Amino acid sequence: MSDEGKLFLVGDNPFHGISHLSQERSRVRGDASTDPEYAAKLIRVSLDNGANGFMFSVSEKTLSILNVLRKNGFVNRLDLYAIVPYAYEYVRLAGRVGGIPGLAKKIVKEIAFSGNFSTIAMGLKGVFRSDLDSLVKTYLAYEISRVKSAIGKKAELRCVLLHQLVTDMCLGLNLDWFFRLYMDFMLKAGVKPGFNTGNFALLAKKFKEWNIELEEVTIAAPFNKIGFQMVPSKERCEKALAELPKPNVLAISILAAGYLKPKEAADYIAQLPNIKGVAVGVSKEKHARETFKLLNEKLGRT
Amino acid sequence: MNVGVIGLGKMGLLHASILNFLPEVKLAALCEKSGVIRRFLKKVFKDVKVVDDVKKLSGLGLDAVYVTTPIPSHYPVIKTVYSEGVASHVFVEKTLASKFSEAEEIRGLVQKYGGVNMVGYMRRFAVTFQKAKKLLDEWAIGELTGFKAYAYSSDFYGLEGNSKVHASNVGVVRDLGCHAVDLAFWFFGDINVTAAKLESKVNNGVEDSAYAEVLTSNGLRGEFSFSWCMNKYRVPEVGFMVEGSEGVIAVNDDKLELLLRDGRRYKWFRHDLHDEVAFWLGSPEYYREDEHFVKSIILKDVAEPSFKTSAEVDRVIDEIRAKAR
Repeated sequence: MSDEGKLFLVGDNPFHGISHLSQERSRVRGDASTDPEYAAKLIRVSLDNGANGFMFSVSEKTLSILNVLRKNGFVNRLDLYAIVPYAYEYVRLAGRVGGIPGLAKKIVKEIAFSGNFSTIAMGLKGVFRSDLDSLVKTYLAYEISRVKSAIGKKAELRCVLLHQLVTDMCLGLNLDWFFRLYMDFMLKAGVKPGFNTGNFALLAKKFKEWNIELEEVTIAAPFNKIGFQMVPSKERCEKALAELPKPNVLAISILAAGYLKPKEAADYIAQLPNIKGVAVGVSKEKHARETFKLLNEKLGRT
Repeated sequence: MNVGVIGLGKMGLLHASILNFLPEVKLAALCEKSGVIRRFLKKVFKDVKVVDDVKKLSGLGLDAVYVTTPIPSHYPVIKTVYSEGVASHVFVEKTLASKFSEAEEIRGLVQKYGGVNMVGYMRRFAVTFQKAKKLLDEWAIGELTGFKAYAYSSDFYGLEGNSKVHASNVGVVRDLGCHAVDLAFWFFGDINVTAAKLESKVNNGVEDSAYAEVLTSNGLRGEFSFSWCMNKYRVPEVGFMVEGSEGVIAVNDDKLELLLRDGRRYKWFRHDLHDEVAFWLGSPEYYREDEHFVKSIILKDVAEPSFKTSAEVDRVIDEIRAKAR
């Protein structure tokens, strides 16, 4: 696992059957990469070719992949970056179980059956006192426990990032207390707090206004040559990146969802300051080998 | 501009967040029926008035309200907003009402009370469909000869007969298909249903798949296919295949293809169509529709799709139901 070097993370989008270029592309791509055994194999091939971590949304699918990696003895070689909550899955689930009230009941039931008594107690306190802090902490503790039980005691969960949808909703609503609560909880849990955002420039600006230490967090945000999903603009994101106090950004969408060739994508990232690492999804072994070899060659390990 | 949001489910929170970002807007009030959610809202939004009843929003000086409650409550909520003078301008999430008769009454209220009004058919603000509309208006494929539209999701794929599943009571046509119907109105004008078929594969008897044949006022024939039970539609997708004398346009949420009979082919992804926004939440089209509504109020302009326009979508949905019987 890396301590100071660049992070080359395998992203999990293809394992969920996601293509941000078009859904049609993921339908054509087929089901192979969504099979946990095959996904674990792709991660192992990536590891052998220069990847050193895995960034994943916490879901049944990725927990199964982590289980396979643990059984095969590879999970200890990975820097693990988890994203919670897996918002799109929850949105879909809400539709199936009767909206937000039905979803809340289902999550409560899962937490209750998790057998984690301190977590359950904290959750009960939250419900009875309408204490949002306790409820948020209960949920986060539950998600961390799910990951830890999948990876075992020897592997290390480096960072837990708040999902883009939640991060950006809280940014829009100016909920600075929520960011602080999240960071405090993660730091006390011994995990680096992170934020996945589609509004990188705004997040950097707001954190400065709110006196939230940017050094304390990891930020995952889109950075790519064509400015795809770089909000409000490529220039503003690059400027905000250059003004960061230290390299703590994980560049995502570097291929602009498959629109760019890996070489031109890597050339662009290589000239940016303050990039801690990149996360790239792979769906084929050849793709895994070529991509991570190239990223190591272009971006180096330090 | 003071804005209130009625109904704080996922869409209410999404719009509240975008509205709070817009410099012209002050998020001033929230209305939520659930006592538990209300208690949390009061703790989170210290400077925002939180109430349990739409009537309690009157007298708060609201300029506009967003109605993001479940569809069956749109009609009574909108009626109360107008009759109690809660706000002059109203945005409602799709669909306008749960049946055409209600939508017609709402249209009547608009004539009486005025103000800017809009329904959240956000796909009109997706860059791919906007490009398709432009190409159709420019006669890029010549005289139109027919279209096929779909709206699919995998929300209930593989869950046939599962007793623990609760499909939305409004059915797939109103919940998802309405986007395709609205876009068809925007692209082709008035629509009438000539034949329809509904299916219910999930347990509770509400339609989860639907098929309809339609005829536009210009004599164009079209087909709609809607389903919650399609494999590999992780997020809902709407698409059109439009045929013309000079070529074909195939468009969906992600991309647009223009195939001309002389052999020329063009393809645009979102990447190619200036999909930038100032604040990204959910997808860029949500920001654009909220910005459009707010700007329309400031400029005293009509916001489309208006209640008047969108009531016709409710009519077509009712027609699909009636023809399927």
